[in-house]
Amino acid sequence: MKFKAFLTENGVNLLEKRFLAAFDKMGKTCYLFLTKHHLFFLHNLLNGDGVQCIAQFRIDVLFDDYRISSQNEDRIAFSLDVSLLYRAVKSSVSICTEFSGGLASNRLQIKLVKKLPSNCTQPMPFLTFETKGYKSAVIQDVPISKPLSRSQVVELQTALDSAQDLPPTLVQVQDPNQLLNFVDRMKHVGDVLNVTISKHGDLQVQTSTTLIRLGSEFQRLSVIGDKSQAPAEDRNLSAQARSERAIARGDAQSVQVSVKHFLKSLQCHLTKPDSAFYGIAPQGACLTVIFQFMVPGTRQTDKSISLHCRLPVLDPGSN
Amino acid sequence: MNSSPAIESDAPDLVCQLDNVQGMVDALTCVRWKRHQDALVELSEHGIVLIVEESGCLQAKVYLQREVWISPKPSNSIHQTVESVMLYVCEKLFTKYEYGAEGRPRFGISLGLLVDCLNTFSSPGHSNTIEIKYPGPDMELLLKSVDTLNSCIYSEIRTRIPETSEWDYNFEQAGTAPLTFTVKSAALKEAIDDLEWPGSSVQISLQKSPPCVTLRGEGHGDLQIDFMYYANTDLLLAFHCDTEVSYGYKYKFLKATTANIPGNVARENRGSKLTIGRGGMLKVQHLVSVAKALAPQVESAGYQPPSRIAYIEFFVKPEETA
Repeated sequence: MKFKAFLTENGVNLLEKRFLAAFDKMGKTCYLFLTKHHLFFLHNLLNGDGVQCIAQFRIDVLFDDYRISSQNEDRIAFSLDVSLLYRAVKSSVSICTEFSGGLASNRLQIKLVKKLPSNCTQPMPFLTFETKGYKSAVIQDVPISKPLSRSQVVELQTALDSAQDLPPTLVQVQDPNQLLNFVDRMKHVGDVLNVTISKHGDLQVQTSTTLIRLGSEFQRLSVIGDKSQAPAEDRNLSAQARSERAIARGDAQSVQVSVKHFLKSLQCHLTKPDSAFYGIAPQGACLTVIFQFMVPGTRQTDKSISLHCRLPVLDPGSN
Repeated sequence: MNSSPAIESDAPDLVCQLDNVQGMVDALTCVRWKRHQDALVELSEHGIVLIVEESGCLQAKVYLQREVWISPKPSNSIHQTVESVMLYVCEKLFTKYEYGAEGRPRFGISLGLLVDCLNTFSSPGHSNTIEIKYPGPDMELLLKSVDTLNSCIYSEIRTRIPETSEWDYNFEQAGTAPLTFTVKSAALKEAIDDLEWPGSSVQISLQKSPPCVTLRGEGHGDLQIDFMYYANTDLLLAFHCDTEVSYGYKYKFLKATTANIPGNVARENRGSKLTIGRGGMLKVQHLVSVAKALAPQVESAGYQPPSRIAYIEFFVKPEETA
């Protein structure tokens, strides 16, 4: 089992300034899954009641000189502490910039090693970052779990495949900060969020307790997938009445999620997506948020990066 | 607008619009001294008053008046200032105020919930204009954001039938002339914060000559803070006292009068007016700007032009003298 690569400058930027900053807030540990063509960061994929977060990078976005080999179709997976990884990348970057005088020629190597730590009898696996400075080299070892066995990798791959299902209707939120600010303030009022998404392009988030009902509605969002025109007679109704009627017609679906989970998924905005799509999986299985990244300077989706979250749905009636 | 024309008998008691939710949040936050607090709201043709009370010793009122006549002159100033020659200005606090009730409807509401809820309305990216309507179909207080294209926030807050017992805080002037002083809000807040460590009780004394206000805390050790009128004209903006008085107040009640003033309001650094009435009843008054947020227009002297204001009043009963 071997893995060795050099992080590209773009790769370092993506990880340090955007993705690891977000993942660090998503949860303590995550799986790193490497294949011949892709690298995945997977949160909560196997042990499921939290927010699942799945990020996929094409290898050439992050690395050059990428070498991987394993007896399991050249796939390697292990879990690690995100905050340690984040720290290692951050300090490698600071070493690079400090010693190279801003020249990008300095290369950051990343590889999988087995080492015998002091006061240990067993060698342990590490992800090692090697930064060559002007006169010195700095090596940082991030401890990782034992690489997953063949059957565990298969389990991970299966979970990953089943997490790729697209909701039939997705609505696009162009300015996710507005939603973030709103839900962040809403958390003081209630802890269960009712999310309604309609084929007309309406997204409604609402919390209600015995004392208060508080909600926000975003209308006329662009819709991907199943869409339909809102009936004209609904136009003058209140947000609640409109969504109730849309649900009754089968034009909308509603699920309850935890405000805490919703806020956690909004942490993905630290990855600076260009927009986010919200959708409810068939049978209301989960709330899916898909983040969209554009090729810088264009209006074209960057297919080399993908990120999405799946929020577990609360059983209606159980708080 | 999509509201259908109201039928006379179904007209709500109040429909009003305010274009600065944050100002209202700031004003209400000033009187939120604990997490769960019941408030009484009274509506009238003149505006909205919110009252909170604790232990029969402390009461606070927030006045959101429909029209406010503002004099830029600090009241009771011994010295004439440049500003005092300016005219009174009438400011409308609400952009719309339709009052349809007879008498003065009152209802109880959770202050914490109201503030937290209003706070979501002031989140960036949304219009800062809010419509307040009372009552809803089930006597709720209805709030909704207006003027935002394609997005809105709405809320319904359950109200309660108010308690019938009146909170009696009759404030009467102590003598022939009021015993009063005006101090910069931030300085007052700082002084009261400093008085925390001596503990339970704070003595407030007004002395005629030399004109001076003394705050003295005694408990585990003692701390005395003097505002000398002639020495600190920039802190003590006004002072009026024709007889020496001194009363003790429970620290926790005194603290409630300044502790919750939001930072941005304290930084505006208007004056807070304190008056001691008959029997030592202390009245503390603050002004909170509810003006629509504009670029800061602070003049070089730090004087802010008059604007739409919410009045906050606290009444603190003195400690029983043994």
